Amino acid sequence: MNGRRTAALPTPVALLFLLPAAALFAVFVLYPMATALTYSLFSWRGTAQEAFVGLDNFVALLTTEPYRSQLPRAFAHNGLLFAGAMVVQNSVGLLLAYALHKRDRLRRLFQVLYTMPYLVSPLVVGYLWSLLLSPLFGPVNAALRAVGLESVAQPWLGDPDTALWVVVLVTAWQWVGFPLLIYGAALGSLDPTMEEAAMLDGASSRQRFWHVTLPMLLPVIGTVSVLTFIFSMEAFPIPYALGGSNGSPAGATDVMSLLFYRTAFNSGASNAIGISSAVAIVLFVVIVGVSVLFTRWFRHVERGLT
Amino acid sequence: MNRRTALAGLTTAAVALTLGACAPSSDSPEPGAAAGEGCDGEAVALDVWSWRTEDVKTYEQIFDVFEEANPCITVNFQAHLNTEYDQILRTGLTGSDGPDIAQVRSYGLLQPLIEGGNLEPLEDLVPALGDFDQAILDGARSREDGAVYGVPLATQTIQVYYNTAIFEENGLAEPETWDDFIALNETLLEKDVTPLAVGARDGWFVPTVHDALTAAQYGGADFQQALRDGDTDFTDPAYVDSLQTFKDLQKYMPDDVTGVPYTDAQVLFTSEQAAMFAGGSYEQAFFQEANPDLDLGVFQVPPPPGSALDHPVSAGYADGNWGLSATTEHPEEAETLLNWLATPEFGQLVADELKQFSPIPGVEFSDPLQQEMWDLYQENPAPYLLLVDFRYGDPVGTDLMGEAGQKLFLGDADAEQAAGIIQDGLSAWWTPGE
Repeated sequence: MNGRRTAALPTPVALLFLLPAAALFAVFVLYPMATALTYSLFSWRGTAQEAFVGLDNFVALLTTEPYRSQLPRAFAHNGLLFAGAMVVQNSVGLLLAYALHKRDRLRRLFQVLYTMPYLVSPLVVGYLWSLLLSPLFGPVNAALRAVGLESVAQPWLGDPDTALWVVVLVTAWQWVGFPLLIYGAALGSLDPTMEEAAMLDGASSRQRFWHVTLPMLLPVIGTVSVLTFIFSMEAFPIPYALGGSNGSPAGATDVMSLLFYRTAFNSGASNAIGISSAVAIVLFVVIVGVSVLFTRWFRHVERGLT
Repeated sequence: MNRRTALAGLTTAAVALTLGACAPSSDSPEPGAAAGEGCDGEAVALDVWSWRTEDVKTYEQIFDVFEEANPCITVNFQAHLNTEYDQILRTGLTGSDGPDIAQVRSYGLLQPLIEGGNLEPLEDLVPALGDFDQAILDGARSREDGAVYGVPLATQTIQVYYNTAIFEENGLAEPETWDDFIALNETLLEKDVTPLAVGARDGWFVPTVHDALTAAQYGGADFQQALRDGDTDFTDPAYVDSLQTFKDLQKYMPDDVTGVPYTDAQVLFTSEQAAMFAGGSYEQAFFQEANPDLDLGVFQVPPPPGSALDHPVSAGYADGNWGLSATTEHPEEAETLLNWLATPEFGQLVADELKQFSPIPGVEFSDPLQQEMWDLYQENPAPYLLLVDFRYGDPVGTDLMGEAGQKLFLGDADAEQAAGIIQDGLSAWWTPGE
């Protein structure tokens, strides 16, 4: 990674090979991005584009109701989803990967089992959990009552204090296989002599994990964190399945994508396209901005360690 | 690796953005390929779009009747997933390969298409519209020019269903007074039967239940008129009282009602564990399919003492219209079809085959329960207020009531605060009297 070489200029043949991918990228990524950006700079009357209004839609988003109060609330919830995913999904994923790393025989089996939920559509996962957690017919509360834990049984998705954490846990249930696989691969590629050396020096297994293995995993932790951030900011299907387009109950599970969905497709406002495009752009800028800053900061931390 | 991470960030974020851009596409099949049999002139195929994927077969049979009478016109009926329909339709109507005629939403959610100039005004093209009920036509009216942009397809009414077997077992009858209603709820509660099957986790369902139970208390159409005239707003004592009643009735609903999904409330009722279900006429087909042995009755909830109205009401609303694309290549044929969609012949097919309330004058309902719901509505109609008048901006009234009702049930807001949530939310785009 350090030995940077000056790349030779691409040959015409190489450019030719790049063309199909570049064309797809332009049509399916760049064009829609540019369109969304231009949409957000105009005012709209229904589906008809009207005058160029500059940043008015963004100003409206930050200064007028309902956006002024819903936008920060939704962002805060996305932030909590990220924090929750880091604490639950990624640390459990790391611990599982570490535990499996030492077991040659069952590793494959468990890797497959833990990654299975990702093969199911998140919308389906969301609906299944919503059935499991139903206060009337859900087996979760029934099981808790059956073993005498009546007091623990909750209206999980009906209480604003628990609903968002249910979203975090269901998301973690589905995606825990993702950090597990990445950390598993990273652990497999570490040089085992380091840990052996530490062992010979008398380091306990906990010390070896904290002071030898974990620092060597830092670059991968950075990657997983950035990707988790992106997934958390874009969360849509699981919150939608668990709380509907309004983030029930009483907005407790509202996130940015739901806000976008509501303003774009569930609003009677004339300028719905303008405002919702502005929401999309704000989300995009935050995701890119934070991802880039975080990556830089992480690179800095890594350099400090080596 | 770091650069790759940043790039991955960029691309993923970009994919999110594509959600925001709905660029017109042009890959639909060419219409007009199939020629009708027995047609002397030029055969034309009309594309008709719908969000009723569950009704495709029935609609095709219904349009067979039209095609027989009009051999030169073929109807190419296409249904798209309900949740994606608005986006697809918006794209279709602004592009070049959209439908000739499409099912369109009502009231506020219809306005974007009218304002965008995607639909044609219909009063001159479809004379039969003059015979429709004005309140139903409001669902197809433009906020700006007052013209009608759709042929009304269906009307929904909101009332309380009850399980006649459970009522009989417990010696109960349809309530005549508010005291009767409370007494029967108490009796059911004592017998360990959930009186009211309600699921408040789905915000959209909350205002439906509220209007089913208390529309007469706040005044139904009179209150709507007072709002339109600017004489009051949602903090009106009558409206606050109706929210208090709604809260008082919570004890007859399942425990932890804000955690109960709408579909569980349906199951609670169809599995005969609950005696009553406050809901729309669109529930009937599902109830009877889910439990064919279920014996159903309907009633309107009598108003509590001190209500604005002295009689019970059914709230109702127009649910969907047929709109004409402004860019159709076959305006004459589309006009012929639209006029047929406004005939009692079509309305009767909608009533018989689709089990929906066609608002076309002269249609009769063969199902006695359906006829009863329709008669109750005709006798004492009321608007489904938050849907009918309060979906012309952002946030929409039904969403606000969903949130306010959930807070009310959770104990996070009292009736006055709940009314305040609705009023404050609406004030972003609505001023009483405008």
